[in-house]
Amino acid sequence: MFLVLVTAGVVTLSAQPRRTFTNPRPEPYFKTLFPNAGGFSTFGGTPLHYKVYGVDPKTNPNAPPIGFIFWTTDVVPTDIGYHGPVHFLVGMDTRGVIQNVIMDYNSEPYGYFSVDPPKFVEQFKNKSIRDPFQVGKDIAAVSRASITINHSARVLREATRTMAKTFLRPEDLKQ
Amino acid sequence: MLQPDPWGFEEAPVETWADILAPQYQDIALLSAFIILALISFHRKSVALKYVTFAAAIGYMGFAKSYLISITNIFSVVDWTWPVFKYNIAWCLFFGFTVVSTVLWGRLYCGRICAYGALTQTLDAILPAKMRVDVPYAIEKRASLIKFGILAGVLVYYVATHNVLIYQYTEPFWMFSLLGTPVMWTLLAVLLAATLFVRNLYCRFLCPVGATLGLISFATVFKIKRWSECKTCRICEKTCQWGAIDGPKILVTECVRCDDCERLYADEQKCPHWRIIEYNERKLRVLPLQPVR
Repeated sequence: MFLVLVTAGVVTLSAQPRRTFTNPRPEPYFKTLFPNAGGFSTFGGTPLHYKVYGVDPKTNPNAPPIGFIFWTTDVVPTDIGYHGPVHFLVGMDTRGVIQNVIMDYNSEPYGYFSVDPPKFVEQFKNKSIRDPFQVGKDIAAVSRASITINHSARVLREATRTMAKTFLRPEDLKQ
Repeated sequence: MLQPDPWGFEEAPVETWADILAPQYQDIALLSAFIILALISFHRKSVALKYVTFAAAIGYMGFAKSYLISITNIFSVVDWTWPVFKYNIAWCLFFGFTVVSTVLWGRLYCGRICAYGALTQTLDAILPAKMRVDVPYAIEKRASLIKFGILAGVLVYYVATHNVLIYQYTEPFWMFSLLGTPVMWTLLAVLLAATLFVRNLYCRFLCPVGATLGLISFATVFKIKRWSECKTCRICEKTCQWGAIDGPKILVTECVRCDDCERLYADEQKCPHWRIIEYNERKLRVLPLQPVR
């Protein structure tokens, strides 16, 4: 009887709308991603992103962007790790070089020793999106959290390449 | 004719199955070899092969890969969120094998595949029997229900909070990663110390994964075959390390298919079934049946 009641409770609670997490206010991270930026656009476009400007677009509306900030979960929404997607906020300049990456949220059981430590995202800083992003080659492998690490490397590679193919030209990329 | 990729990305623009499988061949092959070893040891009821399987479970499944079914996988069932199949074929094979083998044979996973279970069973075989404290049957029967309470409690907590990290205080399987917080290591030390005296303590009384597999085991297809004498004889009940035999019944939620009772049923020197047959045959030889006049 107890088990039936508990099961009924679990099923009822599980039937509630799924809680998905995307940080609605990532602006505090912007200066970490682009310390010298003069301004940022609002969130929009396809895929969803913020444009980064060297000067405040209010003072110079015609200035071209110097980079983009985007969530990997918006650009590659279908890929998941061990228990769900790892939410990375990425800053990429217009030469296809990753300026910085923030690991904002994950529900990975082994996240605490794989993607949570800052040294994981540090290896993507100043990395060209032309690099292979291969775990065990240019990305450090954490063997006992391989599902999480492989997912993270995959979404960072696919998200940056998708953004480049959408908003940049091949000749813009750093050689 | 294919145009060269103007972007200069290393991989082909379209991912092929060869690309996907290349980094996974080794994992799939080693996991398949381990599963085959476990199944052979299970079907041959071989003690030696069982300990070889334990060694492989601890070394490869535990310390090398950390492939253990966890309460977090039960959370994944609640959320219905899974690792992407094509990139994690070995893990999906492992998870699928656990579910299918439980439906076919019961908690085979607990008794043979789980690295932590293999570790504690190996400890039990190494440690002197004198150290062991045999839990009285009445306490054992009640204590075996604790794991169902833990399962229910953790599931309610997870559904309410979605905090996956509760696993750190519910199960010791993270130990194979060798990375834990001081609190986790302390709890593990207490658990392992207690396990030195009470055999398979965690698996029998506390494991929510074992509880879940125990519930699935009600659907077991291939049950342990017993003799008619098992209704009255209690030798195998005393042999069972897992408290899984209650007189004429095998408790499917507790049985991990360790083979101890099955080896006994096949032992013509020990099992009363064979002794009774032998006795009857001898009696017939001494007193041959005469036709009724």
